[in-house]
Amino acid sequence: MSNSGQGRATPTAENVRAHDDGKSAQAQKRPERSAAQQFFHDAAIKSADLVHREIIRKNMDSYFVAHDRGRSRFADWEAARQRCHEIKREAVNNLDKYLLQFEQNVIANGGKVFWAATSEEACQYVTELAVRHKVKTVVKSKSMVTEEIHLGLALEKVGCDVWETDLGEYIVQLRNEGPYHIVTPAMHLNRQQIAELFRDKFSEPNLTEEPEELVAAARRKLRKAFFAAEMGISGANFLIADSGVIAISTNEGNGRLTTSLPKIHVAVTGIEKILPRLEDLATFWPVLATSGTGQPITTYGTLIGGPKREGEVDGPDEFHVVLVDNGRSNLLAHKEEREVLHCIRCGACLNICPVYRHVGGHTYGTPYPGPIGSVLVPRLEGKEFEHLSYASSLCGACTSVCPVKIDLHHHLLHNRRDFTEKGSASARERLQFRLWRMAMQSPRIFALGGWLTRRALKMIYGFGLTGTIADPMRAWNKGRERVPLPQKSFREQWKKELKNGR
Amino acid sequence: MGVKGSRELILQRIRDGLRVAVAAPPRTESGPIFEHVVNPLERFQIECKANLIALTLSHDANESRAQLKAELDSLAEGEIHVQDSPVLRSMIEAIQINRPVKWSSQGAPAEASQATVSLAEALVAQTGSIFVSAACGGRGISVVAPCHIVFATVGQLVPDLETALRNATAQGMVRKNSFACMISGSSRTADIEKILVQGAHGPRRLAVILQQS
Amino acid sequence: MLEFPDSMARKVSLFVPCFVDQLMPQVAVDTLKLLRRLGCDVYFPEDQTCCGQPAFNTGFWDDSRPCAERFLRVFRDAESIVCPSGSCTTMVRQFYPELLKETASLEEARAVGRRTFELSEFLVKVMGLTDVGASFSHSVTYHASCHGLRELQLRDEPLRLLKNVKGLKLIEMLRSEECCGFGGTFATKFESISVAMGTSKADSIAVTGAEYVTAIDPSCLMHMQGILSKRNDRAKTIHLASILASES
Repeated sequence: MSNSGQGRATPTAENVRAHDDGKSAQAQKRPERSAAQQFFHDAAIKSADLVHREIIRKNMDSYFVAHDRGRSRFADWEAARQRCHEIKREAVNNLDKYLLQFEQNVIANGGKVFWAATSEEACQYVTELAVRHKVKTVVKSKSMVTEEIHLGLALEKVGCDVWETDLGEYIVQLRNEGPYHIVTPAMHLNRQQIAELFRDKFSEPNLTEEPEELVAAARRKLRKAFFAAEMGISGANFLIADSGVIAISTNEGNGRLTTSLPKIHVAVTGIEKILPRLEDLATFWPVLATSGTGQPITTYGTLIGGPKREGEVDGPDEFHVVLVDNGRSNLLAHKEEREVLHCIRCGACLNICPVYRHVGGHTYGTPYPGPIGSVLVPRLEGKEFEHLSYASSLCGACTSVCPVKIDLHHHLLHNRRDFTEKGSASARERLQFRLWRMAMQSPRIFALGGWLTRRALKMIYGFGLTGTIADPMRAWNKGRERVPLPQKSFREQWKKELKNGR
Repeated sequence: MGVKGSRELILQRIRDGLRVAVAAPPRTESGPIFEHVVNPLERFQIECKANLIALTLSHDANESRAQLKAELDSLAEGEIHVQDSPVLRSMIEAIQINRPVKWSSQGAPAEASQATVSLAEALVAQTGSIFVSAACGGRGISVVAPCHIVFATVGQLVPDLETALRNATAQGMVRKNSFACMISGSSRTADIEKILVQGAHGPRRLAVILQQS
Repeated sequence: MLEFPDSMARKVSLFVPCFVDQLMPQVAVDTLKLLRRLGCDVYFPEDQTCCGQPAFNTGFWDDSRPCAERFLRVFRDAESIVCPSGSCTTMVRQFYPELLKETASLEEARAVGRRTFELSEFLVKVMGLTDVGASFSHSVTYHASCHGLRELQLRDEPLRLLKNVKGLKLIEMLRSEECCGFGGTFATKFESISVAMGTSKADSIAVTGAEYVTAIDPSCLMHMQGILSKRNDRAKTIHLASILASES
């Protein structure tokens, strides 16, 4: 049975059932918490969760072994990244032209194209379509955009049973959670948890924990849905302008069945997924697979160009492409940020990000977690998620791994600058930096300020006030030993002894 | 349809956004991104093995027929679904199998099909892939049954993805077909603890009979 | 004093990160000692304060800009500017041009940036040395600080220097390139994540069994030391400059 009634809420801690070591790590739900407060709350819990850390660590380590192997299959991986960057740059810098070419070709092939400016518009189109065709069952293959626009919820509201068919997505749907990771949605779970879930939801108490058996059980359940569904919803990894096809990269075959069996196929996609030419896939297919999972290519590279044609054996009667803007076009005007639209949603930046590895995918509270989410979501969703751009040590690992060479960590810096300039920083912080700036203009004030700080801290520590409200370093001293305080600064030593040394 | 959509609005936003000039450095010239495939047949064999594709080479039509018979005999009882092409018609007729055969001209494969048999548009050595289209018996034929058998000849083998896709464009494959798929193995998933399990929703077994004459 | 054939008396201006000056002065003292031993004529411009990185990283570019312009004034006549910090060197070389893009100081920023070097980069690439005559008989593991690694592309310079230190046993750290979690104001703003990342790093250090962990960035070392001490771990932090300055 599909997930009843509630639909797929945006993942927050209250609907996350974390790893089960006997104690559920369910956070207290406080509706008056802002997204930022919720983030801090969840981050603190997850950062300290060592079992979670170990699970993610193992997953990421095995990913990187595969990724290294995958890169070595290229004669020149850096050239591949550069080529992908340039093709995407060409696509995005001519977005209107290529979208129009794509639309023209889709229509010529018998498909329909709907341009949705907002999530609401996109959901309205699809739900109206479902209602008109009296759709009872919908099967869905993986699409991050459908998470972004909350399409599952919208369809359930009009009475449809929505089945996530990507195994990882199906698992988290049964748990009433959002996906943990954009490529491996159930990464945070082990086989015991999945077995328990299936035993309960499928009423199959004898199911073992063997992955083979679990996959077979899911296959049995979902196969019924595939053959019964009147509507199949997919995403698109790429939209090919010169041929009017969408390209979908999968391994399981769920994307294939979703787009072959039901009478209506709806592909929901961001407008930025455009590639100019079919042959561009010769580079993008291997690059996406290598970055996403370390494979040389995904098992199925499906190209859909329209509904079933005259003379074809099978296929949907209708093919709809829903082009979703939802704030993406705003990024085009931004000289620096335009390249963020190059993203092919491979997930590599999530896998390498040390912040992601320590707080996990659900903590971000958005469909797009990790570095790309931290860069993109504040721009798409606004002020409520600006804190994500600050939740980074700017280590730059993401940038080094991005297959389309998005300068991710520098975009975080730009985000911080833009948000501060438009007034998002607190008055306190603005004052702090104003004072700091003034102090830094004068070496005397700087030296004096430093000296006073050291003396004050010595006193505060001496009185045993470490970690209390009187301790200006209390945030530091919470999880770390105090910084030892030197007697003399370097400049004092220079003045007194070192200047004239040799 | 109730909701109108925002085609003009979105295009306008895009055009406005693109008016902001962004430096466009020239495209870099670089060497090959992939190693040139020197021996396609050898490479195809290596990649198929890695992809867990059951590839057998046959020297002639007789051997191919024998191979097909062996594949079909190894299946459980039940109907098979075959692409209605003259080549496959004659192969199936020659091997006289004792099980119901549904042809693609009669419709889509039944859910309970034990196996499907189809031709391919091309084979790709670089990635060990089978390129199929709607003309190869439709969409479901390469995904519905637990076993998918492909019959191809070595003349269909191309060295790399770029060649396959360029050919597809040049021959209008995508214009003529509503569907095409680059298949590089059996259906699989690693969503449970990153352990690879074959036969998720698609075929567990992908067998290729490659005739060398 | 050892003679190094390729070195002339180089005039070096020492760029001491603000928090090193006030909280970890030994790093600067050892940098000075080392450069002098190698025959450099080292000067510390006393007018320097801070390169402006904290404000820049937090998005307060308007507050950072005056610090940058000040830095350019202070170091205007310097021949070579050497800094025992990858992140501060990055600020000057990589980010000043961006910060000062719309100002009259852009050209000067680029010029000064070209003369600013992180310590190991100066030793290996400018002075052409990989053996600085150091001696340090302890086991050491190396943490690859992010700015030095990914912004300055310093991958093997520090390691080559370490490999030539007499008596030093270099033990490779698994995940040496994973961020330690300091990240500037991130360390206090997102304290729980910063500490979690630091404990993962401390685990990697502990596995090596090394007595010391070293890096080219004092901020990483300050953060890691806080975590190592809290856990009573065996390893102690030490800056690369202090190892290279050591002759015992």
